[in-house]
Amino acid sequence: MKKIIATIIKEWLLMKRDVAGLLLLLIMPATLIVVMALVQDAPFRDYQNIKFDLLIADNDHGSLARQVIEGLKSSKNFNVADSIDGQPVTEAQLKALLQKGDRQIGVVIPAGITANMVNSANIAVNTISGKMGMEAHLPTGPVREQMYVHVLFDPVSKPAFRTAISSALDKYVTASCSGMLMQRLSALSKNGNDTTPPNDLAKIMQGTGVKEEPLNHDSNTIMLHINSVQHNVPAWAIFGMFFIVIPIAGNMIREREDGSAIRIALIPNATQYTGPGKIIFYTMICSLQFMLMLCVGRWVMPLLHLPALYPGQYPWLLLPVSLCIGFAATAYGYFTGTIFKTINQALPFGSVSVVILSAIGGIWVPVEILPHTMQRIALLSPLHWSLEAVNEVILRNDNGQAVLRPLLLLLATGIVLWAVSIVADKRRSYSVQ
Amino acid sequence: MFAIEAKDVRKSYKGGWAPALDGFSFSVNRNQISGLLGPNGAGKTTTINILCGLVKPDSGSVKIFGKDCANEITAVRNTIGVAPQQIALFGNLTGIENLRYIGRLYGLNDATINTRAQKLLERLDLSKHADKRINAYSGGMKRRANIIASLLHEPELLILDEPTAGVDVQSRALILSFLEEYRQLGKTILYTSHLMDEAQQICDEVTIIDEGKFVVSGKPADLVRDTPDCKKLEDVFLHYTGHAVRD
Repeated sequence: MKKIIATIIKEWLLMKRDVAGLLLLLIMPATLIVVMALVQDAPFRDYQNIKFDLLIADNDHGSLARQVIEGLKSSKNFNVADSIDGQPVTEAQLKALLQKGDRQIGVVIPAGITANMVNSANIAVNTISGKMGMEAHLPTGPVREQMYVHVLFDPVSKPAFRTAISSALDKYVTASCSGMLMQRLSALSKNGNDTTPPNDLAKIMQGTGVKEEPLNHDSNTIMLHINSVQHNVPAWAIFGMFFIVIPIAGNMIREREDGSAIRIALIPNATQYTGPGKIIFYTMICSLQFMLMLCVGRWVMPLLHLPALYPGQYPWLLLPVSLCIGFAATAYGYFTGTIFKTINQALPFGSVSVVILSAIGGIWVPVEILPHTMQRIALLSPLHWSLEAVNEVILRNDNGQAVLRPLLLLLATGIVLWAVSIVADKRRSYSVQ
Repeated sequence: MFAIEAKDVRKSYKGGWAPALDGFSFSVNRNQISGLLGPNGAGKTTTINILCGLVKPDSGSVKIFGKDCANEITAVRNTIGVAPQQIALFGNLTGIENLRYIGRLYGLNDATINTRAQKLLERLDLSKHADKRINAYSGGMKRRANIIASLLHEPELLILDEPTAGVDVQSRALILSFLEEYRQLGKTILYTSHLMDEAQQICDEVTIIDEGKFVVSGKPADLVRDTPDCKKLEDVFLHYTGHAVRD
């Protein structure tokens, strides 16, 4: 054990004198998580929490158009403008502004849409009342096949953004249409034998539809939605941990090149202790680095007007999680430092492979939005297992059961990489020259 | 019992155009400074690698104090100290930090390490530089530190690969006088060098190796005397190995 501790002390002395390496290990991931959390804050926010500028060209001026505009104005999602410099927005103006990218969303309400909607509602009420034996004779005209409220987007808008905005607008138009229909049915019920008070008829439809429910009704469970901080802090902290491959591989190859590895090879059985010493030291560094990043997420993010990181109901689980991730990352660095002969080979391999493993492992974007094939490939990435383990703790409030599987995978990976490195090192021919 | 006894050692490397060692035999008596001399590519480094257990011979036997270098490597390594030609120290650690780490890996306690390190640092004139990083040392200081690191566990056999290569006259004189002193403690030293004058000066016996084969062995003075037209060891060396430049 003294020999392992001696190696840990030696690694610490070497690390603290390598200021650039220390900065790479601590400042780089901290900067990365702050920048990525800030950059991805908007895309991660629920669209309900963001106000979008919306331009409306109203060619109808009818009650439906008014209801849609009022509905949008009263919504917390949109800043609605239907005039520019006191003049109503024209369709041509709206399209020109969107094309230039000055506005992101435009809505064109076609002329006659209110009349068409009233006509459709009247036809529906007349038909229903006729089938019920109550004669209603609301005025109707010929049916027009298609008349839509048009939504236009800035050409650079993302498809997901378009879908979300279109759905929100569709909700308002549909609500206006059904409101009109209910109004007519209420008026009809006044003339019949229905005892339901007319004002309550519209309320009957209330309380139906879609509403999000908490998955866990336990009052102690804190409901949490994924946000930029909850994703980016653990994701980029894990990315930073795996970047330990650079200092470890660099350190090992330098030791072989400068001859100090020969000194160790000449001491009886020394490699039995220097290997574990190195692995333990860098695993501890990784764990420390991860905890530091969590602290940044918890206490620095709110200073930047971002949500604070929520560490889950069992935050102590993050210690074994970080140690297992650190072990896998360290073993990967040890493996890279063993199999490659030169720094010029090891460093590009180490950095590029970590970037690839992080891209397929859901570090950059959540795995759920990757294509199906990529989702299956993601299951092979140790960075994915790492993120899965952290998410079990900080998002799903796992008490240690679900986290076991990814941790065992990480431990197994670390052990295999370490074992392969030991075999490869034994086959390496050391020479006194 | 010899300090070193190598018999009919053969070693070929994959892709090598000739065997590195081709039935090489030699021996070193205890308590003497023995020189292993040969031109580039003669097989000196392969011999040292086999003695240290870094390379296994294809055939033949190599023993250090009766212990087989291929099969009893832990016991062998406990009795030898090796100062490779390359400075085998951690450049970003200070001299004393290197010695503490190496001493601990040998299983020595801190008190023993400190006592031995101080003594050796003083003897090789490095005590006032003990707290400086190795990277800040001059070439001569690095060589001396390299030798100290191989002596912490007080080995019976010290193997030195060109210990004075690239050092100034003062450092060289200090190293050579120290080796003589170490021999007087009852220790054995195997030394390789291309500096024939130096070998003639400090070696009790030399062995010349060429193309992986034993060439000649004996006391430097005897070799000079017994080889025709030779006035110094360098003449003997050239007599046996020729004037052709080696790759």
